[in-house]
Amino acid sequence: MPTIDRSPDHDLASTLRTALRSADPQLSKFDPLPRILAHDDFNSGLHGWVELGGNYNGKGEYSSLDRHFRDFRPPQLSSCDFFDVGTHGAMSGTYALKLATRPYPGHTATGIRRLTMSGRGLLQIEAYLAYKAEAVVDPAAENGFGDMAWDGNSHPSEAQFGAFTVATDLCGDDGIRYHTVARYQNADENGNMLRQWKYPTVPEPTPREHYEGKVDLPYAADFTAPDPDDWQVYGEPQELCMNEVPTKVNWHYLRWVIDTRTRRNVELQLNDRLMDWSDVPVPIYEERYGSLENLLNFYFSVRSLSGQRNFLYLDSVVISADW
Amino acid sequence: MVEDEFATEPFEVAWAGEARWFLQFLSEGAGEVSVRTQVSADGLVWVDHESPALSGPMRGVMTVPVSDFGHWLRLVVTPSSGDPSSLARVYLALKE
Repeated sequence: MPTIDRSPDHDLASTLRTALRSADPQLSKFDPLPRILAHDDFNSGLHGWVELGGNYNGKGEYSSLDRHFRDFRPPQLSSCDFFDVGTHGAMSGTYALKLATRPYPGHTATGIRRLTMSGRGLLQIEAYLAYKAEAVVDPAAENGFGDMAWDGNSHPSEAQFGAFTVATDLCGDDGIRYHTVARYQNADENGNMLRQWKYPTVPEPTPREHYEGKVDLPYAADFTAPDPDDWQVYGEPQELCMNEVPTKVNWHYLRWVIDTRTRRNVELQLNDRLMDWSDVPVPIYEERYGSLENLLNFYFSVRSLSGQRNFLYLDSVVISADW
Repeated sequence: MVEDEFATEPFEVAWAGEARWFLQFLSEGAGEVSVRTQVSADGLVWVDHESPALSGPMRGVMTVPVSDFGHWLRLVVTPSSGDPSSLARVYLALKE
């Protein structure tokens, strides 16, 4: 397992970086590796986070897109508005990046950021995030869903949130392509609370595999790994702070490290849970890919299983590396 | 596909000072459509914006500017006559 030297005094440069960062209110809430590739504060725009789109043919025809890749919805700059409080605002400033699904079971919304690698080694993404199902204002609505019934503390909305995912799309060294993927599965389609971390054991189906007739997935399929049997649970469930109702936004710290030299996971942190992911396998495509040398993409996604609109909010994101 | 009336998904636009819809028909339909902008205070309850609805044949591009729209926008597309079947692309162009 690669080591991350987090001692503040392992060299002068590190000490200076730590001191400077601690004096910066925007960066001091992060713990980046030495080279910051991106610091995305969504008060100043989208910073390149865009809807993941499938590959289309040379004529630009929508009909050439994989069905399950056609409708991932564009990210929004959200002021976190709700029916009861008005504008909630983000953790820092007014705006967060919001991924919003359609009100359709299985629908996924995505935001992807496209970079390339100028080296190999440790690569880290950090984010402050919150997740919500869309609020309901309807006297005829159900007061419970799955495991969650309204009791003044529990709220059906919590069980209406499916999953959020952070993942990469990486390629290099003569076309070796792979994804690292971490998913928080909050609940299933029936509202049974799972609160599990998961990872897929197969690489994501690609448009080339569709073009070659190897896959043909329906609308709203799980594009990351469509077969539920291809997902493994990591560790014990982790309860997060959904905070009772769908209009309170509490921000969670996420930090995830991978190693692009060894093509391995390293560690995953969500708030106070630090998880050793060094043994979590990284499935690599058997075939080589062109046009992708040094590909470095991160994406976040949110998937509704209940059919209620699901939202993933990102206050800010830092991507850093040790190369 | 434009076949029945539909509304675009709720979109948060509090940051934007200008907005303009583009409705591009990728295949020509035989009928006409009417498009109107709706606004919302919370993304849940929607009401027509003060701007007039725009009607036209299902070919080329229809475009509508919107101002004074608050924090949420969506577009309602209503086929009004003829055979409305057409593949269309909706853009919402936003600027500070």
